Amino acid sequence: MTLWFVRGLRRGVVTTRYPARPDESAALLPSPPAFRPRALTEDTARRLVQACPGGALQLARNAALLFDVGRCTACGRCAAAAPDAVTRSGAWELAASTRSVLIKEIPLRGEAR
Amino acid sequence: MTRDPAAGGAMTPEELRAAIARQFGRSLHIRTLDTGSCAVCEQEIRLLAAPHYDLHRLGFFFTPAPRHADLLLVTGPMIRAFEVAARKTYDAMPGPKVVVATGACALGGVYPADPFTHGTVDAVLPVDVWIPGCPPSPLALLHGLGVAVGRLAEKVRDLPFTADDDPERERAAP
Amino acid sequence: MTTELTATGAPRVVPGAVTTFQVASPDLEAVVRDLHGLRLADMFAGGSGGSSPRAGGAATDGDAPTLRLVWANDAGEGQSGYVITETQIDGTEYPALSDVAPAAFVEECEIYEQFGIRPATGKPLNRVMLPPHTDLPTLGRKPAREPDEVRAPHAVAGEAFEFPFGPVRQAGVESLYYGLVTSGEEIVDVYLFTWHKHRGLEWRLAGKTPEQALFLAERAEGLSAVAVGWALAAAVESATGTTPPEAAQRTRAVALELERLYNHAAAMAALCQSTGLSVGQSAAEIALERLLRLNARALGHRYLFGVVAPGGACRAPDSGAIRGELPGAYGEFRRAADALLATNSFVDRLEATGTLTSAQAAALGMVGPVARATGLAGDARLVPGGPYDPDAGGPGAGIRVATATAGDALARFTVMLAEAAESVRLIGQFLDAGPFFDARTAAGIAELRQTAGGTGLGWAESPRGEALAWVALDGDGRISRARLRPASARNWRGFDDACRSGNVFTDVPIIEASFWLTAAGMAR
Repeated sequence: MTLWFVRGLRRGVVTTRYPARPDESAALLPSPPAFRPRALTEDTARRLVQACPGGALQLARNAALLFDVGRCTACGRCAAAAPDAVTRSGAWELAASTRSVLIKEIPLRGEAR
Repeated sequence: MTRDPAAGGAMTPEELRAAIARQFGRSLHIRTLDTGSCAVCEQEIRLLAAPHYDLHRLGFFFTPAPRHADLLLVTGPMIRAFEVAARKTYDAMPGPKVVVATGACALGGVYPADPFTHGTVDAVLPVDVWIPGCPPSPLALLHGLGVAVGRLAEKVRDLPFTADDDPERERAAP
Repeated sequence: MTTELTATGAPRVVPGAVTTFQVASPDLEAVVRDLHGLRLADMFAGGSGGSSPRAGGAATDGDAPTLRLVWANDAGEGQSGYVITETQIDGTEYPALSDVAPAAFVEECEIYEQFGIRPATGKPLNRVMLPPHTDLPTLGRKPAREPDEVRAPHAVAGEAFEFPFGPVRQAGVESLYYGLVTSGEEIVDVYLFTWHKHRGLEWRLAGKTPEQALFLAERAEGLSAVAVGWALAAAVESATGTTPPEAAQRTRAVALELERLYNHAAAMAALCQSTGLSVGQSAAEIALERLLRLNARALGHRYLFGVVAPGGACRAPDSGAIRGELPGAYGEFRRAADALLATNSFVDRLEATGTLTSAQAAALGMVGPVARATGLAGDARLVPGGPYDPDAGGPGAGIRVATATAGDALARFTVMLAEAAESVRLIGQFLDAGPFFDARTAAGIAELRQTAGGTGLGWAESPRGEALAWVALDGDGRISRARLRPASARNWRGFDDACRSGNVFTDVPIIEASFWLTAAGMAR
């Protein structure tokens, strides 16, 4: 067992300090998209809804794009379908104690909120 | 959160938060439940005990026994045939207890409600915290567990998931 | 290519190719006997190409299902290939194949549950895929009655105690039910119920476009996302006659080797956990975490989701990140492995535990490190064509396939270690072979040729063994029948043999870790 003990000492500590300190490693990972309302025509929004394989995007009747962060797998298909309208959010601390807080209403271009 | 009925009385949100932090904030035992995942969420959950993340330093522990558990960490889209096992696991946990649904499958993505799956964990169990991701990384899980015990703040409520940058400018940048 | 096959002629495997033969039902048993020198890779049924069983529910009763057997020739050295036999089954019975090929038994049970047809001997069939007391949609006609569900009777000196374990098990593991039969300590029998995680993936894939299907196929067995996705994409490409760009094929190969590396690190961690060696587990987990972070930097996802696409690859690997980080991550892995092999208490637990003989592995048609540890040398990367083929621009010396002879958990562990070393070497060669497409220009994907219908077989060597997929496309290019067969669907059937070889309870987690399968891959 001395073998392991010595190895362990030499290896040092790799443990994250999160949550006491921020941890940048999560920034590398795929994150849910952020949408650009200026580029979101109804046509583009329809294309985005079509592209999403997990049902995270829907068109609301009052002409907004409903984005359910909970259903999002960050697969990137919406960004591939409309690169001008979609970008990375970089958000990863996404836990919520109310389900509705995860459903975002993204206004379409030209529509008042 | 399902409170122990013997405690009695209604609480204000602040009192409830304080109660949760007092009850669970220093030491929490976690039971995991797989209702039909693809196995990757489980791998990320296992890594919570690995050196890079070490959930023990935060007072969280895994337990194989529902009787000793305070928090039920659920993955998968709640396959209908699994419902009985899921309910038994939840019922075997004494109150107070917290249910955390983790991963896109558990939150309604990937699989819709259909003959095979309910599609969401909250169709069967009373969920207290939802953690998105496919899979949620160990850091995201740590944040979610911190939210569940009232130690960490939720952030997603204030995130709009919109951007007003100009894509032309972004493309031009190196 | 379809050729008429008669019972007298043995079909020849064309290296690197898939040849399909029509076999009439009365000749099937004789053909299976003749083909017995090949490995039965899979058996499944489906509507004759063009019907979409999902639309509106069960298949139309008029469609007699076609029984397909996929045979693999593991001769290696550029000689590997596949043969598919297709037989239309009218009526409810077909010749009993598992008497000749025990590797077919689990599939016979599955086909009965999904299509209502059964082998003619009338011997009992177990429940394999569909949970009991449910009325789930099937891929074909529902069976006339439930499966017989007979388990072998067991007694040791008149006594045996059977106890159920699962499906909800210890922390952080998948749901899986074990029926453990014991006379005290020693394991008399083990049987598994894997249907708790049945998500009906093959049912869901019907009607999807290949692109939509890939999203689900990656999540059939997420720990083999690249392999299963590659198999499905290759099946679609074969069905449409599309060839992915060379650089995209190399991207897939890099992703597949990275997948192998992290899975073997995870298996090592699980082996340490199963033997109670916490320091070893931590060391392996450090290596695993470094490899997962490398995956995220190199290809955008810790578990390599979203890399494979039908027609090519969605992303190009970050060669700089791999060259920079892989030596360190693999060094971590190697040091942990070397320390483990020098730790007698660990090695003793693995030696002679969960032993499988090569005869057992061959009879059950097993694949991957489990099979190679018994001495069988098959590897899906040896099939000619594709990015691994040295004659088609692949790595100069071809692949060194690692085998062992003992067939126990230690042999499986050493095979995995040798494979990890080989993976690192292969990744280096793929990176050296040339540039990768710039992912943003989407030049990594060849447009799928529009063909009216067509069928195709695809394969990839997942960390657990050969993953297969077969598709039939309809006139619109959508999937009418998809078959997904991750390696776990092949290898769980050897688990009870491995457990029965004179082991005790506490050996079961060790055997499970050394197999490193998933319940998700079996249940789909």
